[in-house]
Amino acid sequence: MNQPFIDLLTPFLPNLGDRPLTEDSRLHDLGMNSMKAIDLLFAIEDGLGVSLPDEDLNDTTFATAGSLWAAVQRAQDAAEGDRRAAA
Amino acid sequence: MSVFAAREAAAGTGSPLATLPADTSGADLWHALGAQNRLAGVYRGNDPRRGVDPAALSTLLTDVDRRFGVGSTLAVTVPLATCLPLLAHGTGPATHTLADSLDGHTVVALAATDEDSGCDLAALDTRVTFDGDRVRLDGTKRWITNATTCGAALVLARHRPGPHFTNFTWVLVPADAPGVRAEPAGTDLFDGSGTGHLAFDGVRLTREHVVGGTGRGLSAFAAHIATERLAGALWAVALCERVLRDTARHLGRRRQGGGVLWDREAIRQRWAGALLRSRQHRALTESLTEAVAARRDTAAAALLKASAAETVEHVLDVCAHLQGAHGFRTGGPQQLRAQAALFGIGGGTTEVVLDIMAETAPLAGAGELP
Repeated sequence: MNQPFIDLLTPFLPNLGDRPLTEDSRLHDLGMNSMKAIDLLFAIEDGLGVSLPDEDLNDTTFATAGSLWAAVQRAQDAAEGDRRAAA
Repeated sequence: MSVFAAREAAAGTGSPLATLPADTSGADLWHALGAQNRLAGVYRGNDPRRGVDPAALSTLLTDVDRRFGVGSTLAVTVPLATCLPLLAHGTGPATHTLADSLDGHTVVALAATDEDSGCDLAALDTRVTFDGDRVRLDGTKRWITNATTCGAALVLARHRPGPHFTNFTWVLVPADAPGVRAEPAGTDLFDGSGTGHLAFDGVRLTREHVVGGTGRGLSAFAAHIATERLAGALWAVALCERVLRDTARHLGRRRQGGGVLWDREAIRQRWAGALLRSRQHRALTESLTEAVAARRDTAAAALLKASAAETVEHVLDVCAHLQGAHGFRTGGPQQLRAQAALFGIGGGTTEVVLDIMAETAPLAGAGELP
């Protein structure tokens, strides 16, 4: 996980405390509820400039920091591919 | 520029709505606004995809509130704030319905609240099932504005079991599709709003009636209900200021002793206390408008909704009392009080939005909470 993603995700995890965020960190256990998850989705779309595809909109994607990071990476790769195709 | 500046600049000009009778229904009002090309003007660049222009929305709502009842104003506010921006993220039928709606030809209802689960949207039972290129919709929606007058409804349904926010999807349903049934709600309040219940019994549509993508139902709702909460806050400003003006006028004419009621210090102070609450809500609305309109700030929207509900309740309570028996006239503040209770219920109860405020307080800089 890169630092911008960690910086974006951390404020949505009130129970994280001083512990490091790892790919195995379970978001629900760290205080992520539906309302926060929706705001996080907005933050990903607005802050990272990617839109998660419909097939990644499920509870598995939002289960851990690592699963969400993987979906964000897939969306970023797809967006980059689109940009190259358009160029 | 202030969100209210355009409204005040337009206050002295003649409104094209002035020719419509005061009891015009919400649906007829929608048709008239479309014919006057005033619906698209509520959005930035006349494009619902770009979100509302708060100053233009405030100007329109002030004009409508001044001339028509709560029910008709409600019937215009919900589609403007929520339905049309939602439709703007669709394709095919959504695109056609959006165009017809902007022209005033079609009223669109927002059908989110289920029969049994109310404002707990994650518990709703209305189901959409996919079968290749077809979808099937089953369920019942209660207390839906424009239910009996709409040409189409945006229906929030679940495509998977469970409460996760990605399990919900919007479906655009033509009101005349086989299996759709609308019936009016049993209430004397909200005349002109077309409020009622919608039942969907095996409604079959093409998959292109899905709006905004599968799994984006609750996130899209959160983004656009924020705009509806902003619209409610703007409407509350207009409503409170109108009732305060009417009350001051009444107090200035009502004889008492050798003068009028307005001469009594205690009465003026009570009125001024309500004015203070109204101004506080207006200032809060002004400070948070851009956060909601431009950044989908759900916490700011929750704060505005809570403020609107509490302010309207207080101002109408004071003004209704100050107007005495005169306050019981048809359309007077006593009737308005009952209708305006919707500010604390419709689109999320005050308890729901206060809970959002508590949840988001640390993100909003309130520090560490328990």
